[in-house]
Amino acid sequence: MPVLELREITKVFPGVIANDRVSLALERGEIVALLGENGAGKSTLMNVAYGLLSDDGGEILVDGKPVRIRSPRDAIALGIGMVHQHFMLVAPLTVTENIILGHEPARLGIIDRPKARARVVEISAQYGLKVDPDAVVGGLSVGMQQRVEILKALYQGARILILDEPTAVLSPQEVRELFGVIRSLVTAGLSVVLITHKLDEVMGAADRVVVMRDGKVVGETTPSQTDQIGLARMMVGRDVVLSVEKGESHAGEPRLTITDLQVPGERGLEALKGVSLTVRSGEIVGIAGVDGNGQTELVEAIVGLRRPSGGSIDLKGRDITHAAPRETIHAGVSHVPEDRHRRGLVLEFDLAENLVLGDHRDAPYASHGITDAQAISETARQRIKDYDVRTPSEHVLAGALSGGNQQKLVLARELGREPGVLIAAQPTRGLDVGAIEFVHRRLLAERDSGTAILLVSMELEEVMTLSDRILVMYGGQVVAEFDSADADEERIGYYMTGGKVAGAAPAGAQPAGTPDSAPPAPPMGGAL
Amino acid sequence: MLNGFFTPDLFASAIRMATPLALAAIGGTICERSGVVNIALEGIMLIGAFFGVVVTLATGQVWLGVLAAVLAGVALSGIHAFASVTLRMDQIVSGTALNILALGLTGFLMEVLYGHPGATDSIPHQILPVFNFPAASGTGFFATLWNWINPLLFGYTPIVYLAIIAAVLGQWAMYRTTWGLRLRALGEHPRAADTVGVRVIAGRYVAVLISGALGGLAGANLSLEQVGSFSENMSAGRGFIALAANIFGRWTPVGSYLASLLFGFAQALQIKMQAYQDVLHIPVQFFLMLPYVLTVVVLAGFMGRAVGPAEVGKPYEKE
Repeated sequence: MPVLELREITKVFPGVIANDRVSLALERGEIVALLGENGAGKSTLMNVAYGLLSDDGGEILVDGKPVRIRSPRDAIALGIGMVHQHFMLVAPLTVTENIILGHEPARLGIIDRPKARARVVEISAQYGLKVDPDAVVGGLSVGMQQRVEILKALYQGARILILDEPTAVLSPQEVRELFGVIRSLVTAGLSVVLITHKLDEVMGAADRVVVMRDGKVVGETTPSQTDQIGLARMMVGRDVVLSVEKGESHAGEPRLTITDLQVPGERGLEALKGVSLTVRSGEIVGIAGVDGNGQTELVEAIVGLRRPSGGSIDLKGRDITHAAPRETIHAGVSHVPEDRHRRGLVLEFDLAENLVLGDHRDAPYASHGITDAQAISETARQRIKDYDVRTPSEHVLAGALSGGNQQKLVLARELGREPGVLIAAQPTRGLDVGAIEFVHRRLLAERDSGTAILLVSMELEEVMTLSDRILVMYGGQVVAEFDSADADEERIGYYMTGGKVAGAAPAGAQPAGTPDSAPPAPPMGGAL
Repeated sequence: MLNGFFTPDLFASAIRMATPLALAAIGGTICERSGVVNIALEGIMLIGAFFGVVVTLATGQVWLGVLAAVLAGVALSGIHAFASVTLRMDQIVSGTALNILALGLTGFLMEVLYGHPGATDSIPHQILPVFNFPAASGTGFFATLWNWINPLLFGYTPIVYLAIIAAVLGQWAMYRTTWGLRLRALGEHPRAADTVGVRVIAGRYVAVLISGALGGLAGANLSLEQVGSFSENMSAGRGFIALAANIFGRWTPVGSYLASLLFGFAQALQIKMQAYQDVLHIPVQFFLMLPYVLTVVVLAGFMGRAVGPAEVGKPYEKE
């Protein structure tokens, strides 16, 4: 008998059927991967099971008995726990406070703090999830925060654990650790639903795979019966190229040279502590690293959105260290920002307006301060066609497009002005497999036409697929440099989590700044 | 020339002046911790002061007046809660509207009830200090010491002590009870609270209503303890100063109380300085201005650095 069974769940949002009679059964001690692209309805389904959304039809059974789940409180009482993609943690509270929130051990409303702490320590030891119960959550690493989330669910007595895109923010080592934890939870008798769109995770971790597309279950299989290509076909509904082919690079003269760049961060801490790098024409330099290690500050400093406190940024012999965004654009730097909603687009503007932002003062789009609607529309139509933006017309609001089409729009504008240097930050964040393929092809084509590209991505696989050289950032510094030919996940991941700080590097890696020195001896057993 | 300026009375007066500020500031702290800005505290205080006097004059029972003040505060804050939590209106707009409503309503009811604008009659029996120990005579060390201790510790009316209790009790509750933990979560990450089964809407209602009760009590202190009658707009910006005290006190009850002491001292000082006007040759308006100048200075100096609850001011909506 399944511990959790969803029967014919239907959920309708205005204009969209997010779940169309979706059924899913989870057996005890099983890991089921719920696979699908963004918007396929995976999270919606699980939010229904967790009581965050009310269903518009269907039935939920726990241990074979029909149940009503109207709120997370009901779900928790039934032994269902959920770790959300965006953590549900209260940053200024301690680990213990976060874990007990809502289910505090208390007498007459007064929290029994020693008991709470002891319980957290106990569960943490029981499942091997080490954590400091008194640490303030806001100061923990993302991996640690996730651990707190899992502990929270266990504290609440979860027997069924739903993990929503749990690896999106983790380094490869942390991912492996997480799957170790999940395995031990399952051994201890828990059952796990893993929401993901990453094929390798499914193949590596799941016992069974349920694939969703457009709000429906389109298939069910096991990792042994299929492979990544087969899964991708089920997920997208057509054949997809998972990894684009990359030809030889023909790197030319240095276009962007950054020397000892320092940038102040929040609360007086240095976000960049002396970063140096060079990007040449016709090559993609990828920056790998866990989010929050100075990548954002580096990008913002280059494009003029953040003021460096030291060092220099040189663009083909021209000093742009303190140039404003407008000057850097004119100097030939294009920028695909990491947050396309906040920085990449004006969602309330139509596509045509968005497509000429940044160039809107210049001919042919404007003369003497008056814009030329006709010229703007013409260019817009051309770019929409070139970049395959799916839209009825150029006068649709940017906010109405899907994420993939919005990103194509940003690319169309930034590449359309034929830059000498492209700064691409998280260019495929939140995109589905098809759109990712498009973006990757475009970036490689741009490289082959001679543009110098600096790529920043939290997706290590993306950095490794596209880059000709890979720099690893950690703690505001470039801590290692790899040639893409001899880079592997293991070694890059080692530096991403501060391996260099720990004292030794694995064989083959090249610590930044000392390219001639011999690599130090490898630690036992590779990373960490 | 300034002989007798720093007397026990000056400091006792500072504590008295701080009381309505502190009560409102603690209310504001609790409210903002839940994620709701209560800019209506000014109007809540005013309406509390008014109904306190009205009920006292009608019944002759000053404690019924205090109760009426608290209930009036709760009622007005209830409107704020409904508008900002249930209807998800802009909290600043709702608060501002309620401030204007309170000002207009009290002025209007003055005309209706008493037939004239301005001020009401004095209440027959003002609330007296809790203790009434005689002053010591003589000039010896112990006599002097007693003459400092007596007014500073034992010279106050009940609500002054209630404010201190509210600060200590509020602080304890915020950091030691289930209610306090959930309250702190509500203003920081209401969805996180929601996902572990904490009722966000109910929690915010409770917090807003508590701030209304404390704001009403602040009004009672003003009209029934300090003045003995109601006059139009007698809150005179204290609700806003209280919000500054809440920020300066870093969103904690005890911090709010201590910050209120600073503003209370400024007020006591300006009252005292008015008495020295002939000596100082400075227009009285200058002194009147001081507490507000202090507010601006404190806010300009500390506001940037103070970090409040992350989700304050944002209505909570389920997905």
